[in-house]
Amino acid sequence: MRIEVRRTGGFAGIERHAVVNTSGRPDAPEWRALAERVLAAGRGTPPLGVPDGFSYEITVDGRTVYCADPGLTEEQRELIRRVLKEGA
Amino acid sequence: MRLMTTNGGQEPVFCTVVPPHVLDKLAQAEDSALSGAARRTLERDALERTRRRLTTVIGAPAITAPVGAEPGTPHRTIYDARHGTTLPGHQVRGEGEDPGKDATVNRAYAGLGATFELLLKAYGHDSIDGNGLPLDATVHYDRDYNNAFWNGEQMVFGDGDGEIFLDFTIPIDVIGHELSHGLTQYSANLTYFGQPGALNESMSDVFGALIKQYTLGQTAAEADWLIGAGLLAPRVTGVALRSMKAPGTAYDDDVLGKDPQPATMDGYVRTGRDNGGVHINSGIPNHAFYLVATALGGYAWERAGQIWYDVLTGGELKQQALFVDFATLTVKATKDRYGQGDELTAVLKAWEQVGVRTL
Repeated sequence: MRIEVRRTGGFAGIERHAVVNTSGRPDAPEWRALAERVLAAGRGTPPLGVPDGFSYEITVDGRTVYCADPGLTEEQRELIRRVLKEGA
Repeated sequence: MRLMTTNGGQEPVFCTVVPPHVLDKLAQAEDSALSGAARRTLERDALERTRRRLTTVIGAPAITAPVGAEPGTPHRTIYDARHGTTLPGHQVRGEGEDPGKDATVNRAYAGLGATFELLLKAYGHDSIDGNGLPLDATVHYDRDYNNAFWNGEQMVFGDGDGEIFLDFTIPIDVIGHELSHGLTQYSANLTYFGQPGALNESMSDVFGALIKQYTLGQTAAEADWLIGAGLLAPRVTGVALRSMKAPGTAYDDDVLGKDPQPATMDGYVRTGRDNGGVHINSGIPNHAFYLVATALGGYAWERAGQIWYDVLTGGELKQQALFVDFATLTVKATKDRYGQGDELTAVLKAWEQVGVRTL
């Protein structure tokens, strides 16, 4: 499973992008379960964010969902945090 | 994945994990128990979304100054999220309370006070809504959180990860920037996308910079015109996040990349990301303000700031305003307030230099 997170916006307006490929990883099932929950709760179109809030584009095996601060679900927050290795 | 659970055999209760497209489908189902619940879930989600959008679009719900509070005095409350993400968090300092041991809390409190003071002393504007609105901020939001934002009702500050960003309360212009999003929301309410979004961002940088200059007592010539100086961690190659004096030169770093801001319309960036490049193209109106302020000299919040304030709060600036609309209104505001003098020359010249027409 290929999980890609792209973050745009934020006060700095600096884009961040990271990819995790879970195949062969011992914790792959955990990643898969989390990613599936994120896809399920995600939106197909970018939500209107708040001023300086981060916007996220999460792509899992070719399917993309969108979310934005401060309206993240716990699953989205956890996945973003794991992939970007930053607070979300 | 659990799609739904039953509620004592009454009707299905949908969990938040149900995908919207599944709910759409279910809402059209012939079984009214299914469709009704799905429809209610969709309606509730839509309501929440609409509420969030309305908060940024038409302003926060009416919050009024505390009863008995004196007009012309700030009503600040600082909250601590304790590294969680629940807003507003735990109250740690209210108006008039003594400073505590947490420097972040104290900086946020002082920054709100400085913003309040500039708006009141320079422009006679009582708080960000002109009507004594209480000012709330939450600090220590999340962990390693590299951002600060305005959620439509309050400011939120992360501590930074220490690797790239430090504490977002360090630069007073960042605090002023976030609060100025409130000023914009309660006045012209510029749409946060594309050119009106870049103008919205620019208003926050302009007033954020003015708050810093006012606090330091600096003239336009003495000011650094940087946004976010002191925010980048020592290992980052850069002086700040944006430069109003020289957009595009604030940082050039292996990890962060290069400051992408243009100073003139020649460099205008068309993109769907970052709400249509709101933090990128803001460099153009930012630079125009810098040019006006330095041409006029003295304190930038006086004449240059007054012109920008007049346009932002004057009632003629539309939510969907483009650069040309804003520039044209600054010309009108300048004539209205200062006639045909140096101010007008400075304003016309500045927009010409950044490549924005005035009508």
